[in-house]
Amino acid sequence: MQAFIITFASVIVGGGLAGATVVGLVNSQTAPPENSPANVSNPVLEYGATK
Amino acid sequence: MLAVLLLGPALGPGYLLTYDMVWVPDLALRSDFLGLGSALPRAVPSDAVVAVLDEVVPGMLLQKLMLLGALVTGGVGAAALAGSALSARLVAVSVYVWSPFVIERLWIGHWPLVLCWAVLPWLVRQGVRLREDPRVGSTLPVLLLIGSLSANAGLMAAATLLAVGATRRSTPRMVALLLAANAPWLVAGVLHVGEARSSSAGAVFGLDAEGTLPAPVAALTSGGIWNAEVVPDSRTQLLLPLVLTLVIGALAVAGYRPMARRLGRRTTTALVVLWAIGYAVAIVSWATPDLVGWLAETLPAGGLLRDGSRWLALCAPLTAVVVAEGATRWAGRVPQRFAVAAALVPLAFMPDAAWGVGGTLRPADYPDDWAVARSELGDGRGDLLVLPFTSYRQPAWNHDHKVLDPLPRFLEPNYVVNDELAVDGRIIAGEDPRVPDVLDALALPSAGERADALGALGIGAVARDLSQPVAGYEAPVAGTVVHRGAGLEVTLLDVTVDRRDTPAEWWVALLAAWTAYVGLAAVAVANLVRRVAPRMAVRPRDG
Repeated sequence: MQAFIITFASVIVGGGLAGATVVGLVNSQTAPPENSPANVSNPVLEYGATK
Repeated sequence: MLAVLLLGPALGPGYLLTYDMVWVPDLALRSDFLGLGSALPRAVPSDAVVAVLDEVVPGMLLQKLMLLGALVTGGVGAAALAGSALSARLVAVSVYVWSPFVIERLWIGHWPLVLCWAVLPWLVRQGVRLREDPRVGSTLPVLLLIGSLSANAGLMAAATLLAVGATRRSTPRMVALLLAANAPWLVAGVLHVGEARSSSAGAVFGLDAEGTLPAPVAALTSGGIWNAEVVPDSRTQLLLPLVLTLVIGALAVAGYRPMARRLGRRTTTALVVLWAIGYAVAIVSWATPDLVGWLAETLPAGGLLRDGSRWLALCAPLTAVVVAEGATRWAGRVPQRFAVAAALVPLAFMPDAAWGVGGTLRPADYPDDWAVARSELGDGRGDLLVLPFTSYRQPAWNHDHKVLDPLPRFLEPNYVVNDELAVDGRIIAGEDPRVPDVLDALALPSAGERADALGALGIGAVARDLSQPVAGYEAPVAGTVVHRGAGLEVTLLDVTVDRRDTPAEWWVALLAAWTAYVGLAAVAVANLVRRVAPRMAVRPRDG
């Protein structure tokens, strides 16, 4: 029973750590960097509007 | 008088800067204006022509002459096509000049297109003449040079001349003239064929409704520009434009037969075909934007079709003449003064267009800072990059009106600008292959690395417009600041600048094209001298 609890707790903790790591990694790679060249083009002024 | 009433304050001191209309005190001629730049040569040959002419006439005066000259030339041309009756001439002038097409295209700054519109009636007359007399003369080359300052304009001028004037005898000479007049943009376009495909999102530039007025109806009175910001309020009401359409339609029906009798079958057919082409292209751009977008993305130069309502210029000569004939026919049944009053009908239906669209088209003065920066930068070393890296500005000194950034043209070097456009919150990709590379260079972590990367792209100077806000990241670039004023900073990059290599065959091809273009101007001068010289020689003997 104790072995089962230890295994179960390990799975939960390990899974949580792995999930947090993956989420952190994805976020760090996809979030816009603070210094983005897109910002040097912003704010984009509209050439016109159809409505 | 109508031209002055329409332009109003635009004729005052300063530079009229509105959307794509950018005039500067002294536009420096540079190699990109000849068609050697990395971007699609949209302003070939117009920029080069202005750069040469403003060596003789100051840029400010040249712009006024262009604006006033275009409207006067167009109006007088329409009157000349309309016959001899005073009422017909007056109606033709007002229908031709006081039209949504002219007002909206002036407002959005498409001045080469307005010049093309201005010469179309004269090209119709030249076409009629050429059927009988194949001599080139001095007027026709000048008309073609004025009417072919951009790709769309050149195509419409060519279509008009060929439709009206082509015969077995005249066609070869006519084609030679047209090739010479259009050679700069044609050759530059072929050399840039790799970049000559445009974003399919550009289908947004198609014919559009004006307010509650449906697009096909708006196009019948030459309206329907894509940009709602340059449509006069009177065009966005349903009633006024609808009644104008009915009045013009009724007069056109009444005037068709008399017009056909006076102009003859060939000219009438040509005008009707031109009208049908112009209307059809506009309607296609509205009805099938996906098709137009696909064409722009797939076919080189397919983007020429995306701003469909430009082609409504082809409808203008027939509309003015047939409506004028209708008014003349109607004038036979009413007192003359009422017939003359009919000329005021277009003004009554679009009164807010008067005086530069109610004072909107106002000239502005450039900041003093800019002239100082120009003299300090000179022709620079390498190309110029202007930051913020966006194509349009809304400067306070330009009455907060939008304008294509005038700074690159104000300064002397070749330049790289961001040719992405934002419409309705969507970004429409540009065609210049250097733009993504510039954005990558600006993304580098340090000012020195950015300078190195920009130098490798052929950029040797950065001008930063300090009056324009940026969202946090200003992409500082290492170098020597040669000018810092209240609104402008210019930095020379202290790095090796890799000059763009232009293939020798490009130089040869463009040299040939420009030789043909200048040759056409020389033909005009030579024919004028040949006509005038004998009279000058005879005069002393008479005296």
